[in-house]
Amino acid sequence: MAQLFQIAAIALATAGTGATTMAVMNEDIPDLAVPEGDWSAGGELDGRSFEIIGTDLGSGAVLEDEIIFRDGTFQSVDCQEYCDFGWSAYETKTVGDVIHFTARTICPDAPHTVVWYGTVDGDALDVDVTWTTRRWYWTNQIEITATGGPALMEHSGVSG
Amino acid sequence: MTPTVPGPAGLLLRIAILVAVVLLATWGAHAIRDALDLQIRPDNERQVHRAIMFGLVAYVGLLALPFVPGAEIGIAMLAAFGPPIAPLIYAATVASMMLAYTIGRFLPIGALERLLSFLRMRRAAALVARAAPLSGEARLELLLHGQPKRALSLGLRFRYVALAMAVNTPGNSIIGGGGGIMMMAGLSGIFSPVATFLTVALAVSPVPLAVMFLGLRI
Repeated sequence: MAQLFQIAAIALATAGTGATTMAVMNEDIPDLAVPEGDWSAGGELDGRSFEIIGTDLGSGAVLEDEIIFRDGTFQSVDCQEYCDFGWSAYETKTVGDVIHFTARTICPDAPHTVVWYGTVDGDALDVDVTWTTRRWYWTNQIEITATGGPALMEHSGVSG
Repeated sequence: MTPTVPGPAGLLLRIAILVAVVLLATWGAHAIRDALDLQIRPDNERQVHRAIMFGLVAYVGLLALPFVPGAEIGIAMLAAFGPPIAPLIYAATVASMMLAYTIGRFLPIGALERLLSFLRMRRAAALVARAAPLSGEARLELLLHGQPKRALSLGLRFRYVALAMAVNTPGNSIIGGGGGIMMMAGLSGIFSPVATFLTVALAVSPVPLAVMFLGLRI
């Protein structure tokens, strides 16, 4: 019995050290900082979709995607393929002729949070994105910046 | 048998060889990382996560086994993922060392020998068989095999320092590697769990902490 108690104590101490190490030494990386402003539930971009080409700022990899606005919600086709993010509410604010939009999307079955902040000026779209993955042992963030224009045809494989 | 002490020229030669090996290993690690082109992207993050979890389990398991090279997995993960993975490697190394110690301390020595034989780990089984009839202090001497008598005496007096040094000594795979040393420490019965835990937590920290805080890239 005493031996079992000692084994349990060693296991507990080891697990506790591991958990403390993770908690103390793992630094969180904040999501994309979206400028403050008079944000309200989105609707101005409903019915529009954009083909975008972006760059992963860390690796330099080129990423192509399509983003869709519909019924006050937003979806990235690539995000949907990777993690079934579904449709997420988006917010907008208008400054002059430029529509600013932001959305925070969360993967339901993996610890991914993607924050979008972009502007639509006529048909031109600029957007910054952070894809942050908060695993129990580290936080990894992918920063993407992209530009785009109207999609010729809305992606047919996406379902709400 | 008293080990021969090398002269200044021999010492310089050894240092030069050590530096050359370290430089070659660093260059090799960079070459492998570049060849792998390991980038975490949205489309491969899950695969990377699975690979890390698989590598972690393999690392803890293999490192705890005597004469089985496991440290290389940790070094490879540090080389591949850099400072962000250092806390995980540190925690896994402590877990692995304590696993080996716990097995050595609490598993009956006969059962341990049979288990290692069953796993076809003949050298590890032989090590345990060699240790079985010895006293606790004599088992510790096994860890310090080949050391001068004065070092043996100091090792017995400052056994936790000796344990920390043995775990960190390059080439300790000859006497069983980190797992073998910790298993033998457990078998000896002269290392208390609490002090051993603290020793291990300190002893295995230099490399991950250097990677984490000094930004060293392997």
